[in-house]
Amino acid sequence: MLWYALGSILVPAIGSLLVLLLPERHAKKVGQLFSFLAFVCGLLLLVGFAADRASFTRDLVTIGGISFYGVTIDALSVLVNFIVVFIGWLICTYSAGYMSPENREHPIKEGVPRFYAFMLLFIGSMAGVVFSSTLLGLLFFFEMTGLCSWGLIGFYGDQKSRKSALLAIVLTHAAALGLYVATAYVFVNTGSFSVNALNELTDTGKIIAFIGILIACWGKSAQFPFQSWLPEAMVAPTPVSAYLHAASMVKVGVYIFARTVLATGAVPQVIGLIGAIMAVVTMIYGFIMYFPQEDMKRLLAYSTITQLSYIFLAISISIYGSKMAFNGAVAHIFNHAFAKGLFFLVAGALAYTTGTRLLPMLKGILNKIPVVGLGFIAAAVAITGVPPFNGFFSKFMIFVGGFEIGKLYPLILVLIIVTILESVGSFIWFLKWLGASVLGAPSEPVAGASQVPFAISLVLAILMVMTLISQYIVLTLLS
Amino acid sequence: MQVSGNLLVWLLVIPFVVSLLAFWARTLGAGARRFLEAVHLIGITLLLVLTLWVIKLVLINGSLLALSGWFYADKLAAVFVLVIGLMGFLNGLYSIGYMRHDLVTGEVDRKGLSTYYGFFHLFLFTMIFTVLSNNIALMWVGVEATTLGSAFLVGLYGHKSSLEAAWKYVLICSVGVAFALYGTILVYSNSFSVVQNAHDSMLWTEIVKHARLLDPMVMKLAFVFILIGFGTKAGLFPMHAWLPDAHSEAPSPVSSLLSGVLLKCALFAIIRYYIVVGKAIGSAFPSTLLLIFGVLSIAFAAFFIFSQRDIKRMLAYSSVENVGIIATGLGLGGPLGIFAALFHAINHSIAKSLMFCTSGNILIKYGTRDLDVIKGMLKVAPFTAFLLGSGALAVAGSPPFNVFISELLTVTAGLNSGYLWLMILCLLFLLVVFAAFLRLIGEAVFGSPPENVTRGDVSFITILPIFLLFILMFGLGVYIPSPLSDLLKGAADIVLSGL
Repeated sequence: MLWYALGSILVPAIGSLLVLLLPERHAKKVGQLFSFLAFVCGLLLLVGFAADRASFTRDLVTIGGISFYGVTIDALSVLVNFIVVFIGWLICTYSAGYMSPENREHPIKEGVPRFYAFMLLFIGSMAGVVFSSTLLGLLFFFEMTGLCSWGLIGFYGDQKSRKSALLAIVLTHAAALGLYVATAYVFVNTGSFSVNALNELTDTGKIIAFIGILIACWGKSAQFPFQSWLPEAMVAPTPVSAYLHAASMVKVGVYIFARTVLATGAVPQVIGLIGAIMAVVTMIYGFIMYFPQEDMKRLLAYSTITQLSYIFLAISISIYGSKMAFNGAVAHIFNHAFAKGLFFLVAGALAYTTGTRLLPMLKGILNKIPVVGLGFIAAAVAITGVPPFNGFFSKFMIFVGGFEIGKLYPLILVLIIVTILESVGSFIWFLKWLGASVLGAPSEPVAGASQVPFAISLVLAILMVMTLISQYIVLTLLS
Repeated sequence: MQVSGNLLVWLLVIPFVVSLLAFWARTLGAGARRFLEAVHLIGITLLLVLTLWVIKLVLINGSLLALSGWFYADKLAAVFVLVIGLMGFLNGLYSIGYMRHDLVTGEVDRKGLSTYYGFFHLFLFTMIFTVLSNNIALMWVGVEATTLGSAFLVGLYGHKSSLEAAWKYVLICSVGVAFALYGTILVYSNSFSVVQNAHDSMLWTEIVKHARLLDPMVMKLAFVFILIGFGTKAGLFPMHAWLPDAHSEAPSPVSSLLSGVLLKCALFAIIRYYIVVGKAIGSAFPSTLLLIFGVLSIAFAAFFIFSQRDIKRMLAYSSVENVGIIATGLGLGGPLGIFAALFHAINHSIAKSLMFCTSGNILIKYGTRDLDVIKGMLKVAPFTAFLLGSGALAVAGSPPFNVFISELLTVTAGLNSGYLWLMILCLLFLLVVFAAFLRLIGEAVFGSPPENVTRGDVSFITILPIFLLFILMFGLGVYIPSPLSDLLKGAADIVLSGL
């Protein structure tokens, strides 16, 4: 089990180095191979864990009797790691089609090895975050993922993407300072970097540490007031937006919050309160920002921001004692990754074939490119929580958890009602674009669309299936 | 004990002899370059071997004495000997390729080359002399001598700007170090009245033994002079004015030695006095002073780093910032703070050497230090671009590189001493530095290169040393080997307890 976890971290990291060293023509193959190997590790770990349910923590790097890095294997880390390596592999496959001179929006003629090097390093760093049993490890890999994201946002190298990349890294790094302080604070007070050491703090100590952690998590998960980097980051190649800025990297924030809450038996309720209020503030902000968006990727970015707020809200509610809300949060991390990943890849496929991602110009997708049209439908209904798609199950769990606690705390009840309203609102708004873009007669760019490469269709199909079944994986492991 | 102590003498003799040979080589004519490079290579290799040997002995024996106590190496000195030996070797290795290029392009002639290698080793000699001196007067002489040894290297190219930088360097540092002389004399006169032996009262080991008997008022005053004096040499704000000019005008490997090693030697002198003063009057006073100067240096340098358009000046200001971090670590005190400060000294010298050597490669490639011209390195010289990117990330304090660990330890030490808000402030200044270096990578590494630059990496011999530095930088970022952590812990003990 330990080796599968280490495999998920190290195999892509080695692949990253190889991609840089081998001749350029091998880059795509090596990228796909190593991401696939990482996926195999993640899958074996998932299956193995589902069979024996043995959670454990093992220290790996110990210097002077202090554990610097260790690995924690439990349902949370196994599940999140699975989406990281699975979607990572799908994205590397999709990119083999997308990163080509045939691409109509951005013909790509160079930089493919660099792209795969950052991508593979990112997969490894994500797995590093997910398995980390120490705050130092979380911080270390938190920053590593930020670096990869910076390299990938700036991939095209023009002024605008360089600026967006810089904004993204500076904002997330600024937020990370919270985690620096929290790590140092925990170490000073307990003599340990371990996440579990949070338990040994006094209540005031926990509040200080958790405020630091929350700031870092807000930054990484693009929550108010750090949200502005995410929509700007949409200048990245679309597979990057799908993977880093929807499925995985932005989940680092919620993951760290979930991990630390889980490790700390009793978190002071004021942290839950702050988390819940900020989540709803972000949610309302993100919702309002839906309306002016015409660029499909920017719309999706704001949708990601609000969906992450759901997860923050759920974890915050779980601090009040709702197991259901916590499980809902984990399930939503899992389900949203597939649904939003799919949505972005649909946007990417549209850009690839039609050369545009402006929603008003896209009409009649289903008619002309059915696989993309179906992907659009599946993603939209999964995101907005329509049964039998996965989003429904996790949102439902969050609402149930919310009402459980809301019975005792009226403020939480108000917040959860606002959340339900947001959910209905975004359903209507996505339904509007669904009707306008997917159905009907093709508009000019769509009518002239080029062929969808096989790699892209394959990945879209797999993800569509996942939006229908991912909830069962999560529910099996959480039960 | 005596036999091994002789090793310290060898450590001094070798660079000195190599230096003399290099000066002599100017009479050789056509074969001079080969001779110089051979002697130089032997010199730096021997230096590295001896350095590691000395450190091994220090780890086993605790300390070494030579020449009836005039020279002394404890674990604290060993940390700095390590920095000098290692960086001397790697920058020396880099010098070979870099100076060959300068010779080919006519920037220097054969005599210039002899001058370069001569002063290079003389400079190493003076730095080793400084950190091994047990005699406080000789230590002062050593610091002053480093100025003289390196000033000629700063002015090597003889351009108007480099001569001006050298002149400014000599002037400011000499005035600064004069303050330190006054501090030294105060300490000496005070210790003489206690020890009552003209020779012994000049030895640091003796002064420390009797530190508790020293006059508190005089020691306070002496420390202020010492800090201003050697602080000038260390590049602490506001005495740093010489530093950006000197570091940017010197040949790149020398910039790297100035920034990575020389500043640390001056800090070493401050630490020696910090120990004495701490024992004499308690550590509150010297710690507070170091903390103030340290944080001010970070704050000030952060904004200057951000506004530079010359890559080497940017790196020079970054040195001010990093010396500030080391001083802050010392000022925070405690085993953790001192450990962090010493570790940061090593880490910074590695990362900064890497950056200066890479900037040397950029100069070879682009012929300029202007960041408005240096663009698109990834297309021009991919491997150098990779190294520049890694180095800039390291200096910015990002994982997986070593500087991240020592900066985090410094912050931890700060929280340990109860300076939560001060540390948050420092982190915000470091954020400015972080942004500046990330922007540097964005502009220099990506983007499209100017037309007149030929594609292809620079020669192997100028890449290899940088790559070795990269390995060190990455290695220490993910693991601290136990001999090193023992050495650092031992050194921190000395700083805290005296002997």
